[in-house]
Amino acid sequence: MPRRSSLPVTFVVPTLVILLILSMVPTLYAIVIALQNRELSSADYSYVWFSNFYDLFSDRRFLNAVWVSVKWEIVTVAATMTVAIGLGVLMFEVASPRLRNIYCLLFIIPVLLPRVSAAFVWKFAYHPLYGIATYPYRLLTGGMIFDPLSKPATALFAVASVDVWQWGLFFAVIVLKLLETLPRQPIEAARLDHARSWQIHAYVTLPMLKAPLVSLMFVKMIESLRSFDLIYVMTRGGPGVATETLDMYAFSQGFIESGKVSYASAMAVLMMVATVITFTMLWKRVQA
Amino acid sequence: MRRPRTGVGRLLGKAVLAFAGFMAVFPLLWTALNSLKNNVDIITRVPRVVFTPTLANISYILGRDSVLTGLYNSVVACGVAVLVGVVLGLPAAYAVARYPNRWAGDIQFFVLSLRFLPPVAVAIPLMVIWLQVGLYDTLAALIVTYSLLTISVIMWLAIPAFQAVPKEVEEAAFVDGYGAYSVFWRIALPVAARSLAGAVAFSFVLVWNEFLIALMLSSSNAKTLPIVASELSQQGMNVPWGILNASVVLLSLPPLLFLGVLSGFLNSVFRQKKT
Repeated sequence: MPRRSSLPVTFVVPTLVILLILSMVPTLYAIVIALQNRELSSADYSYVWFSNFYDLFSDRRFLNAVWVSVKWEIVTVAATMTVAIGLGVLMFEVASPRLRNIYCLLFIIPVLLPRVSAAFVWKFAYHPLYGIATYPYRLLTGGMIFDPLSKPATALFAVASVDVWQWGLFFAVIVLKLLETLPRQPIEAARLDHARSWQIHAYVTLPMLKAPLVSLMFVKMIESLRSFDLIYVMTRGGPGVATETLDMYAFSQGFIESGKVSYASAMAVLMMVATVITFTMLWKRVQA
Repeated sequence: MRRPRTGVGRLLGKAVLAFAGFMAVFPLLWTALNSLKNNVDIITRVPRVVFTPTLANISYILGRDSVLTGLYNSVVACGVAVLVGVVLGLPAAYAVARYPNRWAGDIQFFVLSLRFLPPVAVAIPLMVIWLQVGLYDTLAALIVTYSLLTISVIMWLAIPAFQAVPKEVEEAAFVDGYGAYSVFWRIALPVAARSLAGAVAFSFVLVWNEFLIALMLSSSNAKTLPIVASELSQQGMNVPWGILNASVVLLSLPPLLFLGVLSGFLNSVFRQKKT
């Protein structure tokens, strides 16, 4: 590499400046809006400083949304990783190389779909009367009706299943590829010691893959923050507020119900602060 | 090597895998099938596999102005944003990969951290800003907003792609008298082309699938296809299931076109790790 070249500066600086502008202007402006009392219906506004934030903490629907969001993160991340590791290990153990390639291709399809498409596909499938996914239930119970999306107890899980359908299958492919990169010797050695397949994976391969698996989980935690499309299409936050995550509630406060843009922005700012702090800390730990 | 070739466990494992493979594609195939059905064949308590196919849903979809406008908007907004991402993201990624300095780690983290930002937190202020400057509900506003996504994603994925190019190749070019810029153009870009194509395809899929920002930044003129598709479902109680299924199929086709490129990209990423 040549010592002195203008390339790093001319290549990096413009891009970084643009990225900084594109990201900082909206985030800083989000904070400014959160300190005001803007509404969609009127043009004038004034600064109310922290009163939006005070209101939020006495807003039970907001607290519910926080809880739903936390549940969503835990359920989707845990289920995705379980499905991914389970199927990844299975492919590694029982599928021939040719079959592996076919499964890999099939398992990537769901994640490529637009979230809106995935949501619609499963919204039809979960339809209590005509859905293909509820058909086995109708068949077995002689035509009884099961409506997973309109029951508060099951709605969140029904929507989460779509997220896991997209990401769990995709991550299974990655887990398989990670397993394939491992050296053969420790696995063969364990086999010679009469270790069972599950023992080999539980005590040898998966611990060896701890770092990439943790990174994978980190990626899923970030992607799980983008639940809005699925929930918007499938339940609109309902039944009641059972699937109303923070972004769904912010959207409905800001745009559907009351047009309280500043209130919605205050919520978004809290989300932003929470996620940036959490993920920065997690990232530093993952890297360390 | 003691490795049982048969056995209940293996058989069960194969069955689970086969079921998972079936689950991966069946819902989508069913949707595609439903898009060829008349409403009476969809609204049945027992799913119908045998039916008289119709192209009415598909021709209805392709004949609607709103769908065509949405398609046009999606293609233009995503196409231009990806182009901006390529022009600004690839050179920056190359510089970070090949000319590491003490900020390289921070730059990479900054680019990744853009992904932490909740989309609502970006969309609300941008909506207010675009309203104030008179660009709300225009493709220009959408393109600028999407460029943030495409630049950062392309940069993030292209850095390892450029790092994987053997250093010796580039050094040999320098010895032959190439300048820094022509090494980038003539050596690094072509050698890394396959991985880079994967990164670019990924960024396209990401913005094509984007929903929340498009929903908040458009009201009538700049609606992208996902927004148009989601609105078709809100036509009262009499849901036109067949039409809705057809629109889902139309919306899903472009990302699926990249299936080959993206799975090749995945393979190349992991082949590098192995060596």
